[in-house]
Amino acid sequence: MKNKLFEKYFVFSPYFWLVLFFFIPLAIIFKISISVSEWGMPPYQAIFLFDNGFKINTTFENYVYIFSDYYYIGSFVNSLILALISTFFCLLIGFPLAFYIATSNIRLRNILLVLVVIPFWSSFLLRVYAWKIILQNNGILNVILLNLGIISEPLQLLYNQYAVIMGIVYTYLPLMILPLYGYLNKFDLNLIEASKDLGLNRIKTFFKVILPLSVPGIVAGSLLVFIPVVGEFIIPEMLGGSDRLYYGKILWEEFFVNRNWPGASALAFSGIIILVLPIVIFQILYSRWSQKNEI
Amino acid sequence: MDNNFLVIENISKSFGDNKVLENINLNISKSEFFGLLGSSGSGKTTLLRILGGFEKPDTGRVILDGIDITNLEPFDRPLNYMFQSYALFPHLNVFNNLAFGIKENFTQKEIEINVRNIAELLSIEHLLNRRIKQLSGGEQQRVALGRCLIKKPKLLLLDEPLAALDKKLRSKTQLELTTLQKKLKITFVFVTHDQEEAMSLSDRMAIMKNGLILECSSPEDIYENPKSLYTANFIGIANIIKIYKKDENFYSDDLGINFKLSKELKNTKTNILLRPEKIKIQSINNLKTNSFNYFSGEILEKSYLGSFTRYEIKIKNMIISVLDQNFNSNSNYNFPKGEKVICTWESESIKILED
Repeated sequence: MKNKLFEKYFVFSPYFWLVLFFFIPLAIIFKISISVSEWGMPPYQAIFLFDNGFKINTTFENYVYIFSDYYYIGSFVNSLILALISTFFCLLIGFPLAFYIATSNIRLRNILLVLVVIPFWSSFLLRVYAWKIILQNNGILNVILLNLGIISEPLQLLYNQYAVIMGIVYTYLPLMILPLYGYLNKFDLNLIEASKDLGLNRIKTFFKVILPLSVPGIVAGSLLVFIPVVGEFIIPEMLGGSDRLYYGKILWEEFFVNRNWPGASALAFSGIIILVLPIVIFQILYSRWSQKNEI
Repeated sequence: MDNNFLVIENISKSFGDNKVLENINLNISKSEFFGLLGSSGSGKTTLLRILGGFEKPDTGRVILDGIDITNLEPFDRPLNYMFQSYALFPHLNVFNNLAFGIKENFTQKEIEINVRNIAELLSIEHLLNRRIKQLSGGEQQRVALGRCLIKKPKLLLLDEPLAALDKKLRSKTQLELTTLQKKLKITFVFVTHDQEEAMSLSDRMAIMKNGLILECSSPEDIYENPKSLYTANFIGIANIIKIYKKDENFYSDDLGINFKLSKELKNTKTNILLRPEKIKIQSINNLKTNSFNYFSGEILEKSYLGSFTRYEIKIKNMIISVLDQNFNSNSNYNFPKGEKVICTWESESIKILED
C-alpha cells in the first residue's frame, strides 16, 4: 500500500514541478498583465478592491496597447526571424558535427564530446564579451586582416544583426549538437551502406535515409535552440546595434526602464502563449506521426 | 562454364597493424553458390565487404564479369549485399523497402510490377503494407533478399544470411535459398561461421583462417579429404591420431596399434584423420583376427541421436568418437556403457593430414 502511494506521487512529481515553477508564475504574470497601471510600488493597482464594497479592478487595455503598436509586434517578429535563422545555422553546422562525432571511434568520440561541452564551463557573459573583443574595429580579426593586406580599413563587424546571429549560433550550438548526437549515436550505419549498395549516391542517401531517420533528433535540438533564442536578451544587447529591436530587449526596457509592469506582463504572457501553443500542438501531432511511423 | 566470372586477385587488407587478409586469390564461376567459412576474425566478412565496395583493399583487384570493380563505389557496382542485420529501412514500409533501389530508374507502374513480382517470388505479397517492426525475423530476411534481388544483380553477397533465424526456420530457409539461387542463376557468395550451413548451401566453399584461404573445394571434398588439421577439425567431428613410422608400419602410441596406409608418406611422422561414421562397431565376440585397422576398447559414453548413436570409446590413452547408424529397428545402438567392443574401418577411410 505504502509503495503504491509513493508510486502515485512519484509519477505526478513532474506535474508538481510544472505547477510550482511554470503555471503559478504564469498565473502571477497574467494577474499583473490585467491590472491597471499606477505610479507607485508596486506599479499597478490591486485587482480586488474592498474599500467601497467589493469590486474587481481589471483591464485588458495593456493587451490592446501592445497589440495596437507595431513597436511590440515588430520586435517579436524580429525575434522569431532571428530564432529561425539561428536555428537553421545551428542545424547546418551542428548536424555534420554530431554525425561525425556519433560515427567516430569511442576514444575520439569522447574527446570531441568534451570539446563540445567545454565552453559551458566558462561564463556565458565572458564568452559573448570575447566575441566583442574579436570583432571590434581594432579587434583581433580586423588587425589580422589589415596586416595581411586583405582590407585597407577596419570592417564594421560588430553591432549589427549578423554579429547577433553569429553570437547566438556560437553559444547555442552545443544545445543542437548534444540531442542530435544522442539520437545519431543509435543510428545503424548499415542502413547507409545498404542505401549505397542499392544504388543511391551519398547525397541521395543523405536525403532518403539519414535525414528522415534523424527527424526526432533534429526536432529536439531545434526546439532547444529556437525557444530560448526568441527571448534572448544578452547577446543582442552586447553584439547587436540599434538597427533591430528584439523581444527580449523590449521586455527588459518595459519592466525596468518604463516601469510599466502590467504592459510588460501582457507582452510576456502573449509571447509565451504565441510560442508555447503552436509548440504544444506540434508536439502532439509529431508524437502521433512518429508513433505511426515507428521512428 | 565461365570460371572467371568473379576473380579475386592478390587481395590484402590491414587495419592498422592488424593484417586481416593476406594475398587472397579466388575464382568463382557464374551461377555458383559459393561459401566463405571461417571462425570470427578469419577475415571472411572483410573479404565480403571488399567485394561489396565498403572497404578498399590495400593491394589486389576484384574483377566481376570482365570489369575491374576494385575502385568502384558501392552504388556503381552491379552487385548487391545482404546485411546480417538485414539493414531494412525502419521509416519505410515493405513495399518501399523493396522499391528503394529501383525508384530512380523506373516509372511508378514499372515499380509496382517489379515489386509485385519479387513479392510473389518470395511469398511476401501479403506484407507489402506492413512496417518493418511488424515483421518476424524470417519475413525480414525475405524482404532484405527481395530488396537485393529486385535490382537483378550479377552477384549477390550475403553476410551470415541465416544467423538471425531460429533453428527450425533456418533449415527451411536454407532449402528455399538454394532453390531460389538455382532458379535465378545469380551468383551467390555468402559468409558463415556455421559449417553445417556452409556445407548445405555451397556448391564450393573456402575455409578461411587468420586472413588466409586454407582450402577451397566442394563440401564433399573438404569433408572427405581435408588437407589440413585445422580443416579436419573445423568441419564435422574428427578423430585425429598421431602416428609415426616404426619398422615397416605406422604406429600410434596413443592407441597402441599399427596402421596400414593406402598411400606412401613423405614424413616419418604425421596426423591421420578417421571420421566417426567410417568406423564400424561390433561386439567383441565377432573378432576376426587381422592385425591391422582395428582396435578394441570400452564404451565410455553414448548418446542416442535418433538416426545415429554416438559412442565415445576409450582405448589406451585416447577417446575415439564413433557414429553408428541405427539401421535395424532394435539393434546396434544397444551397446551399453562399459561394454568392450571392436572397431574396424577400411584402409581408404584413413586420411593423411600432411600439413
